[in-house]
Formats: sequence, C-alpha cells, structure tokens
Amino acid sequence: MEEASPASASPAIAIDGEGDRWRISGSLDIRTLAQAEKALAPWLKRRKGRALDVSKLSALDTPGALFLCGLRAQGIELTGIRAEHKALLDLLGGLDLKPLAKPKTVSRGRQLIIDLGKAGDEAWHDTLDIITFVGKAASYTGRALTHLHALRLPSISRQIKETGIDALPIIGLMAVMISIVIGYQSVAQLRPYGGEDFTINLVAVSMLREMGVLITAIMVAGRSGSAFTAEIGVMKVREEIDALNVMGLDPMELLVVPRLIGLVITLPLLTFFADMMGLLGGAMISLSLLDVSPLQYIDRVHHAVDGSDLFVGLFKAPIFGFLIAIIGCMHGLRVSGSAESVGRETTRAVVKAIFVVIVLDALFSILFEKLDL
Amino acid sequence: MTARATTHSETILSASGIVNRFGRQVVHDKIDLDLKRGEILGIAGGSGSGKSVLLKTLTGLHRPNGGKVVVDGEPIDKIEPAQKAALIGVLFQQGALFSSLSVAQNVMLPLREYTDLAPGEQERITAMKLELAGLSPDSAVKFPSELSGGMVKRAALARAIALDPRILFLDEPTSGLDPLTASGIDALILRLNQSLGITVVVVTHDLTTLFTICGRVAMLADRRITVGTLDKLMHSTQPWIREFLHGPRAEGALTASKRSHGNG
Repeated sequence: MEEASPASASPAIAIDGEGDRWRISGSLDIRTLAQAEKALAPWLKRRKGRALDVSKLSALDTPGALFLCGLRAQGIELTGIRAEHKALLDLLGGLDLKPLAKPKTVSRGRQLIIDLGKAGDEAWHDTLDIITFVGKAASYTGRALTHLHALRLPSISRQIKETGIDALPIIGLMAVMISIVIGYQSVAQLRPYGGEDFTINLVAVSMLREMGVLITAIMVAGRSGSAFTAEIGVMKVREEIDALNVMGLDPMELLVVPRLIGLVITLPLLTFFADMMGLLGGAMISLSLLDVSPLQYIDRVHHAVDGSDLFVGLFKAPIFGFLIAIIGCMHGLRVSGSAESVGRETTRAVVKAIFVVIVLDALFSILFEKLDL
Repeated sequence: MTARATTHSETILSASGIVNRFGRQVVHDKIDLDLKRGEILGIAGGSGSGKSVLLKTLTGLHRPNGGKVVVDGEPIDKIEPAQKAALIGVLFQQGALFSSLSVAQNVMLPLREYTDLAPGEQERITAMKLELAGLSPDSAVKFPSELSGGMVKRAALARAIALDPRILFLDEPTSGLDPLTASGIDALILRLNQSLGITVVVVTHDLTTLFTICGRVAMLADRRITVGTLDKLMHSTQPWIREFLHGPRAEGALTASKRSHGNG
C-alpha cells in the first residue's frame, strides 16, 4: 500500500468533477479526511448513479480507505483503483465492522441513589472492618507482649526511628508555628480589654491540652500512616504478603504489630516534644509582643497550667497512635493487585486517620469537661 | 506483495554510532542499525543486553550518549511531536494503556488530539482499528484492568496503529502470553505488516516470533550488534549468538516454524 509516499510537508487533497463523475486526487489520509468529507458532502446528497475516480490518489491510509469503503457501501462506484490501494480497500471492505459498544448510561437521579447506597454500604463495611482489625491487632499485640519471641524488637526500633526521630524537625517546627499563630491572634483579641497578659495562659493551656497532640497526630497520620499503607500495599502488589503466608509467617505479627507498638510508643514522645516546642514558641511571642522575659514566662506558665493539662494531652497520644497505625496497616492489607489501588488506599487511610483523630479529640474534650479534668 | 518487495531496499530509519552507558557500564558501543521500509526486523539479546534501551533510543525516548538516529531523513529529536506521532507507534511491554480510559477512549485519544474529525467518524475509525487488532466491539467499553494479557496487547496495538504510523515498535509483544495467544499476536503483526505496509521493529526473547515473522534479526551481544537474516546468523561464530540459535529451545522453535511454513 501507499503510505510509503514521500513525506509531503503539507498534505493536500483536491476534489473536482462535474455531474455524476467526480475525481479525487492528492493524499487521502487522516489529516485530509475531514476536508475531503466536507468537499464531497454536497455531491453525495444527489441520488443518482455516481462514480468517483480514485486513480489520482497518491496516498491512502486506513481511515481514508475506510471512508472510500463507506462510499462504496452507499452505492458509489470507485473507478481506477490503483493496485497498491486495492489490497487495502479489500482488507477494510472485508472487515465486518460493528458500531462500538456504548457504556451503559444511568439517569442522574438513579445514579445519585446508587452512589448513596454504595457509600452507606461502604461506610458500614469500613466500620466493621476497623472493629475487626482493632480486635485482631490487639490480640496479636497481646500475644507479642506475652510471648517475647513474637516481639520483633529490631523491627520496632526501626519503626520508632522512622516514625519518631525522623519526624522531630517537622513536628517541632509545626508546634512553634502554631503557638505563634495562637499567640498573635490572642494578643490582638485580648488587647482591647487589657488582658493581653492572658495570652500566655491561652497559648500554654491550648498547646498542652489540645494543639500539641492534635498537630502531632495529624502530622504523623500524613507522614507515617500513609507510609504504612504504601509499604504494606506495595508488598501486597508484589505478592510479598503471599510469600510470607506460604512460609508460614504471619503478616500481622511481622508487619502490623511492630508498626503498631512503634507508633504507640513514639506518638506520646512526639507529643511531649511538640508541647515543649509550643511553649518555646509562646516564650518567643511573649518576649517580642508582651516584653515578658523568659524567666518571667516560665513563672507565669507554672501558674497557668497544672499537671492535668499535660496529662490530658499525653493521655490521648497513644490512643491516636494506635488508631493511626491500625488504619494505615488495614488499608495497606486491603490493597488489591494493581498499582492504582495503592494510591487509592493511601489516600483513604490518611483521610480516615485524620478524621478519626479529630472526631475522637472532640469527644475527649467533652469527656474531660464532664470529668472536670 | 509486490509493493513490499520493491520498497524493501529503501532505508526508513538509520541509527549510527549509538553509544549508551550508565555510569561506568557501557551497554552499547557504537552500534549501527538500518531499518528497511516494509520489513520486520527482530531485535534479540540476552537479559540486560540493552534491548529495551536500544528501543528507547530508536524511538527518541532516550537520548544516546553518542551517535544519532535519523528517521525518514530527519534526526529523531528534531521531529515535531505531531509528525512523530504519525511516523512511529510503540507497543510497550506492559501495554501502557491509560488506566482511567476505556479501550475505545485509549485508541481514540491520538485521533482526538491530532485530527478534527467528527466524533462519529472517530468512532468508526476506532472500531476499524480494534477489528484490525482482533478485538471485538464489546471490549471497547472495558477498562484496562478488566482485560486479559492478550487483550491488553491487542488494545495497545490498536492504539499504536491509531494514526497509521509508518514504523511500529513492539517491545516484547508476546511475553507473558500463552503459546496460542502468542501465535495469534505473531499472525496479527504479520498481517499488519503485509496489508498495511507498516515497517515493524520487534524486540523479543521469543524464538518462535523471531523464526516465524522476522525477515532480518539484530542480535545484541557483547555491547555490539550483528544484523542479518536468520540463515546467515545461524552460521555466526559469535559464541553467544551460536548458543542462542542452536540451544534446545531454538531447535524446537525452528522445527515449529518450518512446520507452519510447510502448511501454508
């Protein structure tokens, strides 16, 4: 066939003729096809015995040939077909072309109801999955703590390094920034009442009780929760999890428990670090906006907060750590076959972990208020 | 086909002095390769001999450390994207179908980007390409994740020929397929080459593919390339090529190809 034409810079096609006999010349290919269709349209409207001379075609590709076959099917005679074009026309004429299958369409209202149902079903199964997984993970962790050979200390220490020590810089920076934000807003709001000194109380109490642990948990969910899902998910895609199972090794014991224990240990420590960095940020604000020296600041903080503020914050940390690890690992194990699902599950894990952390934090606030802590 | 025979002498792609190295490891050491219009050229070599790198170099996806690739009289890196799309098509090893698009949308994507045809016309062309690649119209709405290995290759092939490229590069078109499906793909390649006149470069380990459809074979061994018809290569003294073409698997494939030629 004759795609083997010289590489013409500008593909050109010309159509001329009179009456029933028209002639097409030049190159009929995918680039000139639209032009040819347009030029032939008025002629095609006439219903009489017509003939199209194609002997002057210099090049013909498959879309062009398909177009000519279409004309032939409409009863137009193609005259002067060149030998090299004949093979192509015969090939395409011989194909039994059916229109492409169309995707099934569903009306918008119906689709909405389907989506709602699906989302509800999914939420229900998610909840069940989390509860099941929490139970399973807790039982494995319990076993690991009572049977020391099942406790993978090297693995746990690696997790502590990766989720804890490596996260120190970013969490410290975040804590300082957040306390500066709270400090600035408080000074601006309290100054008209002459109460800007209470900024120190506000920063210290909110950092210790809420912001320290919240910032840390959100940061860890984004940093380590996603890493858990991606690591375990990639292992799943590459059949590494199956390989463990075949060797009689339990992925829960080997992969989930060390991550769980690691995060339960690191999150309180990171929270304490964030609290301290938050107080440091408060000191910087006090010095620059309130002219309170660091020594005075320590004294004021000492009066403003008591042990229960620190305790309330730190109490929540291991619970958040536990849930972030559970959600991360659970979604990792849920990855199925393809690489796309790793991305999808990672996103879900992070969103769910942050959601759970914030909802629980709100519940804890109410609980501690009722308990007068 | 007479048209085929007459066009065989013309060079459509020529690579000269190709050097590829990664760090200190030299993969290709001054390789020359000419591709004749209308032929099917096989590229074979052991694992790690740089077959895929050579394919990437020939298609302009990888810039070699030395040498140049000229396609249709123009250096590959100077060719406009639209012109390149009409010039070469590539079937990637894993298919590389876009996972968010259905099979039909995958094939239609280059049509939509490079032509101003009406949607109906595009669909007709897509149906024709799918048919040429041996896929039923029902598979058009399927997504790549729902396809079997053989169907992925066929869909990817349909996409590769969407713009009627002059040269078709196939990276391991039969790898990971059962023998029946693999022969189906071989037959398909042969049909596209003979009826559409597409020049084909096929990178493969599959000895049956080499013996049954390739007119000439380029063997990569020891950082160099040896090109010739299989008959000529069978008498090569290069140890790796000898072993490759005279091993137990090669003998089997050779018998098989002789038998299939005998039949038709």
